[in-house]
Amino acid sequence: MSGRFIMGRLLQVVPTVAGILLVSFLLVHLAPGDPVTALAGEHGDAGYYAEMRERFGLDLPLPQQLATYALRVAGGDLGFSYVQGRTAAAVIAERVPATLLLTGTALLLAIACAIPLGAIAGRRPHGVRDVGISALALGFYSAPVFWIAQLAILFGAVRLGIAPVQGMQSAGSNAQGLERLLDVARHLALPAMVLASQEIATLVRLTRSGVIDELSRDHVRTARSKGASELGVLVRHALPRGLLPSVTVIGARAGHLIAGAAIVEIVFGWPGTGRLLFTSLQTRDTPVLLGIFLFVAFAVVLVNLVTDLVHAAIDPRVRLG
Amino acid sequence: MLRELVIRGFVCPSAPKFVLHALYLSLALGCSIDAARRADRAFVVAISHDPGHLNPAITTNGGVNTAAGLLYDGLLRLDESLTPTPALATRWETLDGGARHRFHLRRDVRWHDGRPFTAADVEFTFEQVLLKFHSRTRASLGPALVDVVALDDSTVEFRFRRPYAPLLQQLDVVEAPIIPRHVYVGSDPLRNPANRHPVGTGPYKFVSYQSSGEIRYAANRDYFRGAPSVDTAILRVVPDPATQVAALEAGEVDWMFSVPGPERERLRHHPTVRLLQSPLGAGGNNCITTLGFNLDRATFRDLRVRKAIAHAVNRPQIVERVLFGEGRAADAPISSRIGFAYAADLPIPAFDTLRAAALLDAAGWRRSGSGTRTARGVRGVRDGTPFVVGLTVLPSQSNYAELLRAQLRAVGIDLRVGSLEQAVFAQTVFTERDFDTAIGAYCNGTDPEIGVRRMLVSSSIAPVPFSNMAGYRSASVDSLFELAASALDPAQRRLYYRSMQEIVVADQPYVWLAETLGTRAYNSRCSGFGASSHFLATASCTR
Repeated sequence: MSGRFIMGRLLQVVPTVAGILLVSFLLVHLAPGDPVTALAGEHGDAGYYAEMRERFGLDLPLPQQLATYALRVAGGDLGFSYVQGRTAAAVIAERVPATLLLTGTALLLAIACAIPLGAIAGRRPHGVRDVGISALALGFYSAPVFWIAQLAILFGAVRLGIAPVQGMQSAGSNAQGLERLLDVARHLALPAMVLASQEIATLVRLTRSGVIDELSRDHVRTARSKGASELGVLVRHALPRGLLPSVTVIGARAGHLIAGAAIVEIVFGWPGTGRLLFTSLQTRDTPVLLGIFLFVAFAVVLVNLVTDLVHAAIDPRVRLG
Repeated sequence: MLRELVIRGFVCPSAPKFVLHALYLSLALGCSIDAARRADRAFVVAISHDPGHLNPAITTNGGVNTAAGLLYDGLLRLDESLTPTPALATRWETLDGGARHRFHLRRDVRWHDGRPFTAADVEFTFEQVLLKFHSRTRASLGPALVDVVALDDSTVEFRFRRPYAPLLQQLDVVEAPIIPRHVYVGSDPLRNPANRHPVGTGPYKFVSYQSSGEIRYAANRDYFRGAPSVDTAILRVVPDPATQVAALEAGEVDWMFSVPGPERERLRHHPTVRLLQSPLGAGGNNCITTLGFNLDRATFRDLRVRKAIAHAVNRPQIVERVLFGEGRAADAPISSRIGFAYAADLPIPAFDTLRAAALLDAAGWRRSGSGTRTARGVRGVRDGTPFVVGLTVLPSQSNYAELLRAQLRAVGIDLRVGSLEQAVFAQTVFTERDFDTAIGAYCNGTDPEIGVRRMLVSSSIAPVPFSNMAGYRSASVDSLFELAASALDPAQRRLYYRSMQEIVVADQPYVWLAETLGTRAYNSRCSGFGASSHFLATASCTR
């Protein structure tokens, strides 16, 4: 894998992110709804609206607003949150770790569960295990995530009491070190599992079909005729090549996970960017909204880059081509 | 028992083998539960939104008011019947026939940082903050007020251009929280860092605002109305109401502000949960869910059509099916909770589908069989046009919309419901006026001047959310509101409001559907809650 390959990919990041930001800016400003009416609530008068518009620069023509915004973002300034009165960067930054923790855990959990399950299912297509695993995966795939989340809360937290209902830490907890880690882990368990359940479904199905494809290929027959054990054939010969489509999809899902965690974050009261995105959308807090779009855009582009690198590592054709 | 052993003896921090921590993570998860139980239990309040800051003087945002109410005081308090009682002010007098209102302040109040509270704080709060940034106080009090002046350390005077009757209803902590001059003077109040590290005079002091959105308060031991018995209050952001209910059942949360209708029955029978009804809530008191007609549309300029729809609406059924019995069929434009202005015996159209059908027939909307009516000779409408009416609602009001659709179908009106998210609803209905009918939750507040005037006077036909939705104009109604606002004699004021309501009911620009209540729920280990923003100040808890 050459440095030029990576550099070439990195150079694409800037125009991609700029493009995403431009489209988001236009979408947010052209969509109906006005941050100042959202801020004033039900009782503003004309003078209040005019003053607030001027204060936030909303009285300027759209191209000028865009130019101001673009210049500021280029200088690393995301602007002030209309609602919170602090920099949008500060508002977003304090939420990012929670989201990364949740989505990262969910993704790892999904990968750790889905690949073995997919391999088991793919080994004997239409066998008992395959039917069981595939049916379960299909079930999770088709169930809406908010419903699974509600069920998890009702049974996991309220009935069985194995995990807390909401939040990231116990209320009023000042725990540090290991105790804090355990407290967060306990709160993380349900939301991460719910979020993972959706990803597991996709990955299991992909891994399964990948493995089925590979098992019928010549190199697997060669491996078997060399006398490799069935497990060895599966793990060393069929699975790595069968995983190629999954790697691509994992990359694509990582971006989806960061934005799509919103519902899980809302249901479990998890203090992440998804929840912030939702409230900022309701209040038309444009600087925060665009800041989150920027963060997600960067995350998706970077994850895609990593996906390409991993892909290149597994599949020589990508490197050479 | 086994779990207990594992936790205490095996995996808790005393265990040396860290590998086991990882292996038995799932079992060890119980560890911190025990830790939390051993500590003194804090009172945990579930809030729906992360308020972002805790300065209720710069916003009318309900989330900020809910979260910050415990930290501040107003000059006055309003009791359950909305009668003003002393808070930061001990007594007050009206001078020069209402041109001046003088308030005598307590001398024993200190800010949470120890500095004494004085009249200068009140002058600063009104002049520099409330009248600029609190959109409701600015819009209602602003035009009538000349200035607010501190006469000495403990006397403050409000001077008016014209007599202003509702003043005393607008000085509680929700409408006019007093903030410290020494913290805010010379700064931009919208960006002052103290908005996230607030200093107040209220029953609770600010402790911390965690990045996770958890807000911690401690009882103000020196509170001038007596120290609260509950030592620590923790506000947790739990956006989903169903999750709030689950957290309450599991004992993670001790208080929630608004229980969704379908969950009430279940919670009513829960062993450790109690329910409490209240018409008061930060940002929205004494609300009436109201159906508004767009009077710019030809169809609704015909009074017979408006009266017919009013007759076709079954309000008791709305209370039963949408509010699950907790509320009241509205029978006047002013909420029955505002006792001094409410009129009990107004000729509100009763539920009567035959009368509705007759009125529609007379208006030219004819029906054959049981289908949708069509126009025949309706002015401004082509003959044969089916009677299809749009109903624009917020997502939270879609239950009303569905029931209204069924009720109006019975008289041959085809209601098409469109649900719009808050910001888009405001723009569509109030800025673009692109709707046939719409539902709004008009909160009357503590005085008709705050919450009723805005939906009826012609000057508030404006691109402001929840202003005069119908686009209703009546010169007599406009002048009756003017008279009522400057009538200092309560009996006289009552008469003006009564005449106003009679005109409005006859003109029927709106159908007043139901007075709603908020249902709070709390853990039964606590009791003695108040109804106001200071609900926790009087409560006590066991364990």
